[in-house]
Amino acid sequence: MALSANERARYRRHLSLPEIGPAGQQRLKNTRVLVVGTGGLGCPAALYLAAAGIGTLGLVDFDRVELSNLQRQVLFGTEDLGQLKVEVARERLLALNPDIEVLVHALTLRADNVCEVIEDYDIVLDGSDRLSTRYLINDACVLLGRPLVTAAIHRFEGQAMTYIPGLGPCYRCLFPQIEEGAVASCAEAGVLGVLPGVLGTLQANEAIKIAAGIGAPLVGRLLSYDALELRFTELPISRRDDCLVCGEHPDITAPRDIGPVCDSATLTARRLSAIGLRDLLASAGPPLVLIDVREPREFAAEHLQGARNIPLRELESRLAECAGHGDPVFLCRSGRRSLLACAIALRGGIAAPGHLEGGLLAWAAEVDADFEVASD
Amino acid sequence: MSCTVHIPSPLRSYTAGAHRVPADGATLEEVLASLEGRFTGIRFRIVDEQSHIRPHIRFYVNAREAQELCAPVGAGDAVHVICALTGG
Repeated sequence: MALSANERARYRRHLSLPEIGPAGQQRLKNTRVLVVGTGGLGCPAALYLAAAGIGTLGLVDFDRVELSNLQRQVLFGTEDLGQLKVEVARERLLALNPDIEVLVHALTLRADNVCEVIEDYDIVLDGSDRLSTRYLINDACVLLGRPLVTAAIHRFEGQAMTYIPGLGPCYRCLFPQIEEGAVASCAEAGVLGVLPGVLGTLQANEAIKIAAGIGAPLVGRLLSYDALELRFTELPISRRDDCLVCGEHPDITAPRDIGPVCDSATLTARRLSAIGLRDLLASAGPPLVLIDVREPREFAAEHLQGARNIPLRELESRLAECAGHGDPVFLCRSGRRSLLACAIALRGGIAAPGHLEGGLLAWAAEVDADFEVASD
Repeated sequence: MSCTVHIPSPLRSYTAGAHRVPADGATLEEVLASLEGRFTGIRFRIVDEQSHIRPHIRFYVNAREAQELCAPVGAGDAVHVICALTGG
């Protein structure tokens, strides 16, 4: 459908750009963009895409608005706490631009639904917060031939890259395999609120360029942004002939759910549930050597009785201190650092290290509701 | 030979928050050993038990990708360690 008089007025600044003009604006209107994750990245991206007149926006998220989201997730307000993010986002985006269509997918993307969701869209933006989801989306976009604009953030650093079928490398060409748990999430590590605003806006910029057919997309290049130093670094990425999904002989021909990688620690470490650890602590067996690998500040806030604090970054040089009358059980906030601690302990010759799966967050949820787990 | 290593955000807890640190070595392996000498534990976050570069880590020397630890590093080179980020 041609642009209405109202739309011509709304998009006047675009229409004045020779690179966009009425034909380009019509292309934006005819484009369907899927935004996966309405978090720190997805919120600003969706705002600018809606404002720019992308005709159909799809939003994927199963989360509800929490107070800790509001420091960076700019589509939500205090009055939205507890609401489904996609529903609140839809309302806000339509208030901004009632001429577009906003579709919501309140679900978790999995191997058995990812293609069904993505195939209805022309361009995909990945603002998810799990490595496994990033690979799932990448693989689906490669298999379906959809452009993918991906970005990720951590503390004060962000990365972005664009995949366009047939033109350059995909996310798996950059990072071929998954190692879930090796990199902290924002919930664990923290993030500067404005950082996803920068990266999400870059994602929207890429999507608009692709939709309008203008400019040079961020293909074959990784853009790294350091907010503390305000420095953008661009590094080349090559397409890998042996890429599992876009290579010469792809191993992945359909999306598949991916669990954590089976490295030595995940195979060998003794995994204790919060209930299991509680029972062991209460049993008459040999005392456990509890090693809390969080930072001293987190440890000082609250820790399990009898636990010793050896921050993960010091563990390798202080491994001898873990030796006691039993094998050590490592503790941390979420179970990520404690699993890395197991790997370090195994490498240092400790035969059967254990760790608390789900970390002290699981302890607080399942054993002791009064236990306060400090943010890291 | 001294180079400058750009440390990714997830590994800055090892470098007391430093974004860039000097290191010595004529290869990436030697540069890593130099880093490990000052920042105990950082090497294991970058390479595994078999000294393979971890799959979520990439190396660049003067903005050119280096896929092997035997890659040469010269005086004054900029080594970027890129780590996959997950946050959204």
